[in-house]
Amino acid sequence: MDKRATRIGLGQRQARSVARLSRQSWRALASRQEIIILACLVVAALVIGLWNPNFYQATNLLNLARGVSWFAVAALGVSMVILVGGIDLSVGAVMALAGVLCASALHAGLPVPLAILAGVAGGLGVGFLNGVLVARLGLPPFIVTLGTMGLVRGVTVGITNGAPLRDLPPHFRALGQHDLYLGPLSVPLSLVIMALLAVLVSLLLDRTILGRYIYTVGRDEQALRLVGVPAASVKITVYVLSGALAACSGVLMTAWLGVAAPTAAEGYELEIIAAAVIGGASLFGGEGGVLGVVLGTTLMLVVRNGFVFLGLPTYLQSGAIGAMILTVVLMDHLWRRRLARG
Amino acid sequence: MRGITLLLLLLVVVACGAPAAPLRQRMTLAWVSKSLGNPVFDHGRNGALARARELSAAGPYTVEVIATGSASADAVEQTRVLDDLIARRVDGIAVSCNDPIACTEPINRAVAAGIPVMTWDSDAPESQRFTFLSIDNYAAGRVAGELLARAIDGSGKVAVLTGVPGALNLEQRVRGFRDTLAAYPDITIVAEVTSNEDISRGVQGVEDVMQAHRDLRGWFFAGMWPLFADRGAMPLWEQAARTGRVKTVSFDTLPFQLELLRDGYLTALIGQHYWGWGYDSVQTLYDRVAHRTVFPPFIDTGMDIVTINNVEAMIRAWETNDFTAPLPPP
Repeated sequence: MDKRATRIGLGQRQARSVARLSRQSWRALASRQEIIILACLVVAALVIGLWNPNFYQATNLLNLARGVSWFAVAALGVSMVILVGGIDLSVGAVMALAGVLCASALHAGLPVPLAILAGVAGGLGVGFLNGVLVARLGLPPFIVTLGTMGLVRGVTVGITNGAPLRDLPPHFRALGQHDLYLGPLSVPLSLVIMALLAVLVSLLLDRTILGRYIYTVGRDEQALRLVGVPAASVKITVYVLSGALAACSGVLMTAWLGVAAPTAAEGYELEIIAAAVIGGASLFGGEGGVLGVVLGTTLMLVVRNGFVFLGLPTYLQSGAIGAMILTVVLMDHLWRRRLARG
Repeated sequence: MRGITLLLLLLVVVACGAPAAPLRQRMTLAWVSKSLGNPVFDHGRNGALARARELSAAGPYTVEVIATGSASADAVEQTRVLDDLIARRVDGIAVSCNDPIACTEPINRAVAAGIPVMTWDSDAPESQRFTFLSIDNYAAGRVAGELLARAIDGSGKVAVLTGVPGALNLEQRVRGFRDTLAAYPDITIVAEVTSNEDISRGVQGVEDVMQAHRDLRGWFFAGMWPLFADRGAMPLWEQAARTGRVKTVSFDTLPFQLELLRDGYLTALIGQHYWGWGYDSVQTLYDRVAHRTVFPPFIDTGMDIVTINNVEAMIRAWETNDFTAPLPPP
């Protein structure tokens, strides 16, 4: 008994030092990528703004901020899954499920906080299922979450019989539609919620042991296991968090639109993953940060918004975003090769 | 003699075994929508069931309608549904195709199995379906263009919202709209945004355009996507629409759209005959199966044009579920 305790204690200390070491080199890399994304953002904003100065109007910045907010919340969760070397394709379906659960609860007369909890609980459940199937049974995350994506979408369509749920109470819609006035600045409430969640995730990743384990699982799962850290539990926690954050994102989206459609967020999983990857989460695991994810999401939305401002046909958007992903992955790859060579 | 008696006896026995009532034949027709649960398709299904009841009451056949479809708007799943119906040997199929190409093979399989197939709302033109029943999307797009041009007095910037790039019916609507506006030299189409048939994408597209073109005068929504969102989701459009700065013509006439029109947000709506998708399809299939009637390759269902002048009548039609009375002029 004693021996085991010492072993775990020792193991944790080792894991911590492994994590700290890997985090330092990660810092160098991530900050580099964050700076690149920030530079891209500035250039994009300058070009779009020069072409059409309306881009800088407060109403557009609010419009953009509102769009970024719920999208980034889901991307935060997915970026953690990517950190542990996994993938979560079920986020779009979870967003729809959470919206529908929340709206059904509101229709049933539940108070807003309870209705939100109902939505988030759905996300937690799906995340737990994903986590157990991936971490305990060792099934490939791509297949598992592809399966739950279909399953969850089917359940969501079943709950609603396919019809969108409307007529949600105004004080629920306020969550997604209202602006807060901080002095002369007006800030969408949903952006404030996103910022709070981002800070929480950032604290979790940077200031807790769990956060270090998350980075280490993605880099070297074997090492973590050797020193006695339950890597499976770490992974399950991450999938649960991803489900919960996707659910929060779905609830925010529903509040903003005032309608919960069972077909909502169809195909968003790929854009959310793209936002996380553009922001610096490496699909090879072990790398990525909160700031990068928020910047990546913002860049994607600015590019989409910019298409309209530049008068480009919107069907080219997915092409542009695809090119962005490839560029970022290529840069990531080249940078790693240079690092490996020393 | 004895033999004849025996034969007579046998005949009597057989006659007693047969039903006393006049023989009624059963006709089973399948009505397949793009997906289950869409309120618009529910409406069509009700129309199909209503016509089946009427035909059963009137005619020699007991007409049974199987209203079915894939759970989501998925082409592969729809193929499976169609193959199941062929296996059940239904007497006729009316289908709205999720994908014109994916639909063609199963339709041809059904026809090869002796089951007549027609399409409604969404066609598979390359298949052996005997007719296609739908609104004339190109003509409807032209009407939308005319209504919008009149609402903005023939000048100003306008924008178009469409769904998935490549969807045939939407493309026809937009082409009709563009062709009409080409005759107005003072109107320019400054943007065409896609919604991917997604509410949130539609809302964002509309707001992006409202932001980029502050002097926009008009919108054509080739589908109702962004209007599904509640008030407050599109602050720029809502404000411009309420004050009349922007005029909007939209496809479809669902109750929440009628409400928006009555409240002054929308200028005109172009409605399809959702009820008729079922009601007329069942009638057409019935005529084909019972009387071998030959139909032209396209049956125009006509369209409803709703403005402030007749919106109340359309709202009443939804409330009473009776779409048989013609609308007052727009």
